[in-house]
Amino acid sequence: MNDFEPAIVAFFCNWCTYTAADLAGTSRLAYPPNVKIIRVMCSGMVDPKYVIKAFLGGADGVLVSGCNPGDCHYINGNYKARRRIKLLKEILPQFGFEPRRLRLTWIAASDGVLLAETVQELVVQLKELGPSEAKLKMVI
Amino acid sequence: MNRKIGRALVVGGGISGIRAALDLAETGYGVTLIDHSPHIGGILSQLDVQFPTNHCGMCKMLPLVERDAASQFCLRKGLFHENIDILLNTDVSAVDGEPGNFTVSLREKPTWVDPRLCVGCGVCEEVCPVDVPDAFNEGLSTRKAIYLPVPHNIPNAYVIDLPSCTHCGECERVCPTDAIRLQADRRKEFRILVVDDEQIVRDSLKAWLEDEDFSVDTAESGPAALEKLAGTTVHLMLTDIKMPGMDGVELLKAAREVAPDLCVLMMTAYATVETAVEAMKIGAEDYLVKPFDPEQMIPKVVTVYEHLEAGKTRQLDVGAIVFCGGTDYFHPADEKNVYGYNTHPGVMTSLEFERVLSGTGPSGGRLVRPHDGKPVEKIAWLQCVGSRDVQSNADFCSSICCMVAIKEAMLARERGNGRTETAIFYMDMRTFGKPFQRYRDQAEKTHGVRFERGRVHSVHPAGESGDPLIRYVRLDGSTHDERFDLVILAVGQRPSKGTREIAELTDIPLNTWGFVQTDPFLPARTDKPGLVVGGSYSGLKDISESVICASAASLEASRVIHAAGGSLAVESPPEPEMRDVSREHPKVLAALCTCSGRYAQRLDVEGIADRLERDPCVDQVLTLNQCCTTAGWEQLAEAAKEANPNRILIGACHPYLFIEQLRELARHIHLDAALMDVVDIMSPVISAGSRLKDNSEGPDESPVRSLQTSALEMALSRLRHLNPVPAPTVDVTRRALVIGGGIAGMHGALAIADHGYPVDLVEQDDRLGGNLHWLSRTIDGQSTRPLLEETVQQIEKHPHIDVHLGSRVADAFGEVGQFHTTLETGDGEVNTVSHGAVLLATGGTEAPASEYGYGTSEAIVTQMELESRITENAFDPTAVASVVMIQCVGSREEPRNYCSRVCCPTSLKQMLYLKQANPDIAIYVLYRDMMACGFTESYFTEARRQGVMFIQYSPEEKPDVHLLQSDDYPVEVSAFDPVLGRPVEIGADLLVLATGVVPRLPENLARFYGAGIDTDGFFDEAESKWRPVDSLKEGVFACGLALSPRSIPDSIATAGAAAQRCLRILSHERMKTGKVVSAVRHSLCSLCERCIETCPYNARSLPADLGRVAVNPAMCQGCGECASVCPNSASVVHGFSDPQMFDVIDAALESAL
Repeated sequence: MNDFEPAIVAFFCNWCTYTAADLAGTSRLAYPPNVKIIRVMCSGMVDPKYVIKAFLGGADGVLVSGCNPGDCHYINGNYKARRRIKLLKEILPQFGFEPRRLRLTWIAASDGVLLAETVQELVVQLKELGPSEAKLKMVI
Repeated sequence: MNRKIGRALVVGGGISGIRAALDLAETGYGVTLIDHSPHIGGILSQLDVQFPTNHCGMCKMLPLVERDAASQFCLRKGLFHENIDILLNTDVSAVDGEPGNFTVSLREKPTWVDPRLCVGCGVCEEVCPVDVPDAFNEGLSTRKAIYLPVPHNIPNAYVIDLPSCTHCGECERVCPTDAIRLQADRRKEFRILVVDDEQIVRDSLKAWLEDEDFSVDTAESGPAALEKLAGTTVHLMLTDIKMPGMDGVELLKAAREVAPDLCVLMMTAYATVETAVEAMKIGAEDYLVKPFDPEQMIPKVVTVYEHLEAGKTRQLDVGAIVFCGGTDYFHPADEKNVYGYNTHPGVMTSLEFERVLSGTGPSGGRLVRPHDGKPVEKIAWLQCVGSRDVQSNADFCSSICCMVAIKEAMLARERGNGRTETAIFYMDMRTFGKPFQRYRDQAEKTHGVRFERGRVHSVHPAGESGDPLIRYVRLDGSTHDERFDLVILAVGQRPSKGTREIAELTDIPLNTWGFVQTDPFLPARTDKPGLVVGGSYSGLKDISESVICASAASLEASRVIHAAGGSLAVESPPEPEMRDVSREHPKVLAALCTCSGRYAQRLDVEGIADRLERDPCVDQVLTLNQCCTTAGWEQLAEAAKEANPNRILIGACHPYLFIEQLRELARHIHLDAALMDVVDIMSPVISAGSRLKDNSEGPDESPVRSLQTSALEMALSRLRHLNPVPAPTVDVTRRALVIGGGIAGMHGALAIADHGYPVDLVEQDDRLGGNLHWLSRTIDGQSTRPLLEETVQQIEKHPHIDVHLGSRVADAFGEVGQFHTTLETGDGEVNTVSHGAVLLATGGTEAPASEYGYGTSEAIVTQMELESRITENAFDPTAVASVVMIQCVGSREEPRNYCSRVCCPTSLKQMLYLKQANPDIAIYVLYRDMMACGFTESYFTEARRQGVMFIQYSPEEKPDVHLLQSDDYPVEVSAFDPVLGRPVEIGADLLVLATGVVPRLPENLARFYGAGIDTDGFFDEAESKWRPVDSLKEGVFACGLALSPRSIPDSIATAGAAAQRCLRILSHERMKTGKVVSAVRHSLCSLCERCIETCPYNARSLPADLGRVAVNPAMCQGCGECASVCPNSASVVHGFSDPQMFDVIDAALESAL
């Protein structure tokens, strides 16, 4: 499985993490191209069904990232995301996905380095886990 | 929209400049925001997080209503607002005219890189041979002569630091987009004449300057120089002062007759520097001191060259100018050896340490020593370096350094997982903001930061390790040595660079220390009407105070422009109707930029076009040669007009650059700009370029192409589902209600009414004035009587203000734009008013005293009682021999754990008054930390000079007060004196208790308007730093003591700020909201009310008469919490619908699988 390249869907909040991603780009910090960034206004906007949809669609990992606790542009959206993701991890096994495939992080606007590291780390982890079951069993 | 009824200039693009510009722009004025540096954000671009929350949140300053007029991204990336023009690298060179009608000349420095062409690929940086200290990292790292000013900026264009550039031309050669124009050949046309009687000086200068590509001529004497000046055009003359025959000053005079525009630099030996300074008064540009160091001389000449050559000045007509120049910081290297700074690598300034902590800093935020990479385990902060220091002409407190040190210490503890030892060495810990004392307590008790009161004597290298060793003296006089890994100097404020030049240009007076002198009661005004000051320009302030001051300054600017009748009226044409495409099948015009084939090997435009064309929604794929050029854009506009698509997708570089152009195109083809998207297809090409050099696989497998197509396809999916509805509007009742008739309330009411909007001013007493009735003067000797009388008079005469005395608010309801308030008078008369915004100025009062025997003797009084006695002439200072003052009575400890900020200055004011009236009086002050912040420090120094005894006490060991029966003194105070190291007993004729301030903000009143109240009863701001006078609920603002304890000028500043925030709303007949707002699909809604509960802005409600969930679009910020919490998908956010998100996820995965 060495040549396995995990597909990652990343939901980044418009204010902090998306800025960090831009920063990583302008600072030419290399992070794997496996990650597909979807900009959302707030990490609290990430509906569990989006995450499940991504997994069912064949994502090997989902990364949700927002502002640090207390920094949220919308006051407390990231706290809500934290609670929601925790609960979601509880029910992911029922869909046949390892909870470890879902990751929630806080990455501030200046943390381009952290962003690159986070993605790299996730790729390594997902490579260890191997392809997602859904992808293997996918009919279409 | 766009009712640009006047224009203002904001000078300085730091946080206060941004606030002032946004406030004015949101009110409808046109704003030009300039900054002398190549980026906006000022000092904040260097700081990751701020006290007292240790968070960022700058983005919270962006508009909350009419959000689409401004950028909706992190402010570190930059700012965009349709009413704001931003000019960088720009300085003010002249100001003429009168209030309401100024003509300003602006001079723009060239950066030699065209920001529209620069794609930020960084190839130039790789070839640049120059290494200079990076100012962004405070010199902790190096950068090239061509560099990115800040890492976040968007568009992220490189700039050239001309004084350090060697003109080798490498960057110009390698630039793939031809964005760099060094114009070295133009230097050849710049002629310099060197005049000196010594041949060696002439020759060496000629050689150095010719190396820099200038044309140089020489002359050995004054007459010879004049001859050359008459014969040829000379741009710059360097002349010696001491020459036989005609000396330099005479030559200067004579030369200016021949060539009046000639720029002259005087060359002088150290002994004749004064003559050179004199020469500058008669027209010399600057002087150079011999012997010359080419390293210093060349940049000076180059700067002059740039200045003359750039010469790109533009004129601007504005109604008012807001100066937000910020402050500079004390630089220890410029002074005598300050604690080993610059000689000892382990000693750095607090700003340098900020960079060490920063994610964009030299170590990427890892806590290591910059000079040797050693992990930092023990750090010391030395407070008051360059502040509170009479020797370095800094008899002032810099107000923020204590808090900065606490923040840095807490962050260092966090970074080191609690193992990093941190110690702050201080004289007084000045935690004078509302939440600051608790922040300090938290640092000490929860985070384990050590606070060490004492003075540091010196810093030396310790033994073999060479680590900094601190020798310090405690209050008891004992000396200690301690080793640290790092020593941080908390450097104080200095006037911002260029303050003096601005003062000379505008005649704004400066204070003793070179800061801008503002009006004693109106901190935003100078004595030049129309020229106002915001932020730290008049003295260092924390973010919250800077933002308040900036809003207050924009109010004063707005007042001037309004009073001048908006003579610069620019009425924009009405917004064109946008096509309704909701019923149409998506028809996408896709355009791909080839960037003139520059990246042909890696940019497979045809392949991408092929993929896009497979999508049935795509009507046409267009390739553009260079869409950033006018020709390219016109080609696109033409195609758009012809094909009449209902979506446009552009693949190019720099999506943010196109915001304005897309809006223009939208107006042109009547298609909503929200239906157009620009996707960055260049970045993957540029950044992956080097990695892919060896990739021999065919273009079909190229990861670059997959990145580009997936980005485009995701955007396509997003666009396909977009169905923009016009941004909802909210009607505004253009009337304001001000509750509280103290000085803050009165000023707020006047500020709003001066703009022509009616104001209802409610006061529960039967007279206006509040606390001003018992005060008589301020610490700087200003009488408050005239202030009170004049303000009341203005209120009473004002045609737009209705005063409701003896009234209270009985009930109120409503939301921004539409509030309804019932007022009730004492005799039960009821009156209802409707208003668009409300300003809570309910004030505060002195906290009641219960400690230290208060109430048991006539000799024990509070500060207010003493002031009242003085005001009423009921106090004779000559009749008392000894006075004791106790500070922080019941204050700065739970339950009132905040500093009231005014009590220390009040005590200083009273002791100086007493000393003046009776020099023999003995005064003892028992204090915890003297909060003599800012320029008040000089009164503290003065009090000590006059012999007032200051005795420090700790809350664990408070003083005792006994009543004496003897005739000598009525009261005796005993305390422990830490300096003497023993208890002392002091007999007093008068004991003054400083009890602090408590707010008077009734809970039900706050509830009526949906405002919050904090644990101490003050108004709870939406955000203490970024929105310091706003409530979380839009349309509700607070000022004065209801907000936080503050002095008269500070209260007036908050009143101005709050009034300005109200005017933002009242200046609209109908407020446009944002496009990204939430809505309800009522057929799916089960009324579970979860969305109402989760909405952070209280924008959702379930009105009984409606029976369904309603959304107030002006309050909704589009965060989408309601949509993700809704079990039925009944709650939706425009622009982020479920089908759309699903489609985007599919598109993302399709390309990844």
